[in-house]
Amino acid sequence: MTVDNTAPLISVRGLTKSFGERQILNGIDLDVKQGDVVSVIGASGSGKSTFIRCVNFLEEPSGGEIIYRGKPVLEAFKELPLYRTKVGMVFQQFNLFNNMTVLENCTVGQINVLGINKDEATKTAMKYLEHVGMAGYVNAKPHQLSGGQKQRVAIARALALNPEVLLMDEPTSALDPEMVGEVLDVVTNLAKEGLTMVIVTHEMAFARDVSSRVMFLDKGLVEEEGSAEQIFNNPTSQRTKDFLSRFNLMK
Amino acid sequence: MSSIPTSFFGWVYFLLQEYGGILFKGACVTLLLAIVGTIIGCIIGLAVGIVQTIPEDSNKSTFSRLLLKCEKWILYAYVEVFRGTPMIVQAMVLYYGAMSVFQIDMSPMFAGFFVVSINTGAYMAETVRGGIDSIDKGQKEAAVAVGMNHFQMMRLVLLPQAFRNILPQIGNNLIINIKDTSVLNVISVTELYFASKSAAGVYYRYFEVFFLTCVIYFIMTFTASRLLRWWEGKMDGPSDYELIEYDPMQDPCGHFPINPKAK
Ligand SMILES: Nc1ncnc2c1ncn2[C@@H]1O[C@H](COP(=O)(O)OP(=O)(O)OP(=O)(O)O)[C@@H](O)[C@H]1O
Ligand SMILES: [Mg+2]
Repeated sequence: MTVDNTAPLISVRGLTKSFGERQILNGIDLDVKQGDVVSVIGASGSGKSTFIRCVNFLEEPSGGEIIYRGKPVLEAFKELPLYRTKVGMVFQQFNLFNNMTVLENCTVGQINVLGINKDEATKTAMKYLEHVGMAGYVNAKPHQLSGGQKQRVAIARALALNPEVLLMDEPTSALDPEMVGEVLDVVTNLAKEGLTMVIVTHEMAFARDVSSRVMFLDKGLVEEEGSAEQIFNNPTSQRTKDFLSRFNLMK
Repeated sequence: MSSIPTSFFGWVYFLLQEYGGILFKGACVTLLLAIVGTIIGCIIGLAVGIVQTIPEDSNKSTFSRLLLKCEKWILYAYVEVFRGTPMIVQAMVLYYGAMSVFQIDMSPMFAGFFVVSINTGAYMAETVRGGIDSIDKGQKEAAVAVGMNHFQMMRLVLLPQAFRNILPQIGNNLIINIKDTSVLNVISVTELYFASKSAAGVYYRYFEVFFLTCVIYFIMTFTASRLLRWWEGKMDGPSDYELIEYDPMQDPCGHFPINPKAK
């Protein structure tokens, strides 16, 4: 596979998505460069989840293109599963494999999809479990963990495949308030270490403080996109202003 | 031979001594049929259930999609036909049908295994399909997101979870099979019911012999039920886990601090 290292890691061009008659995404463009942390914000139902799920083809886009390092994904990769290992996903509902321990959750993809041997996979898994503070729980089953712990394991599971981008769909929305912090801390550290991420979030303070760029989606269209500074302090669109005014972002 | 007993329990004791061996042999045949039939039936059910849950992928060629549709339709017909007719009738049709139409003289025992397996398979197919369908959609999405293909997702994520969910149903089927193999007496399989009938006929002591038979059936089903419970419990694993150290990140103070942007 030839890769173009100057091109954005992922470019989304004119992405549309319809469910039956209803068009949910109406042509979305986005460039995600190496090291970017892009927050996707917007009202409920604006298509944020649909958008991020199209990026790793969990939903098949209806139109437009997803481009990976300068090449359309479907050309760059023989099989979608290979692409998906480059693009990690963290879900709102964690979705840890219920039949596996914490450690197995983090090794199963490495062993079965990437073909890494068990010792190597375990070493990598432990590295990331330590990173998210869950190394002590390797033998636990998902149902024995709190929501925050589950989400941290889910992040470690995604990182263990050594992805180039991490996609997160509201990683803290299903958590009790006292567990939001531990997960956001992990994500903040990843951002500081330069991991490329696209995060759908309702945590505006987090989006403002951690992301390099912010995309505001409204009715399936990019209403406004720019640096966090620009979107939160000087939004140009009235819709963006209205949306942000609902959050208490006082300094 | 001992003298003819006069009381009910006297008869039971007498018949047990006289025909205990035959009844025991019959019980063994019953168990064999039930266990082997349930195992083969589960394998059939698993295979059918897996095929029936293959998504009709729009990326595949028209031909392979058509093939899949055909397979699904045939399997669907199989399930409906065998669930929709009594096993006793299936046994007759198969045993005598094979003989008169195909000139195959299969042993009653073979016909018995065949009928029980294929019947259990039809029921298990539905159970497996339900077991797979009932797994949270998030599990499938996570499997896809870590790059698994359909086969890997089935093998590593869905089937292990479905198996745990359908284990009680497998137990149910085993118990039903222990009892329902009795219908195979119509094709002269020498299982417990057949053995009892022969034994009862000698002295015309139907009540006493079938009382014994009843007890033997119950011992078999109750033991099977207990063993399966124990297995279920074992599969759930220990209820606590070994904690190696404390969780350094769990912060009881909560919330992400809303700091002014410091960049
Ligand atoms: N599989 C689907 N079939 C039909 N409609 C769908 C499907 N998935 C999403 N939708 C619709 O698409 C629209 C956008 O949904 P989406 O989940 O992307 O919104 P969202 O921005 O993530 O909202 P939230 O903030 O509540 O998560 C909604 O109106 C939803 O009903
Ligand atoms: Mg959403």
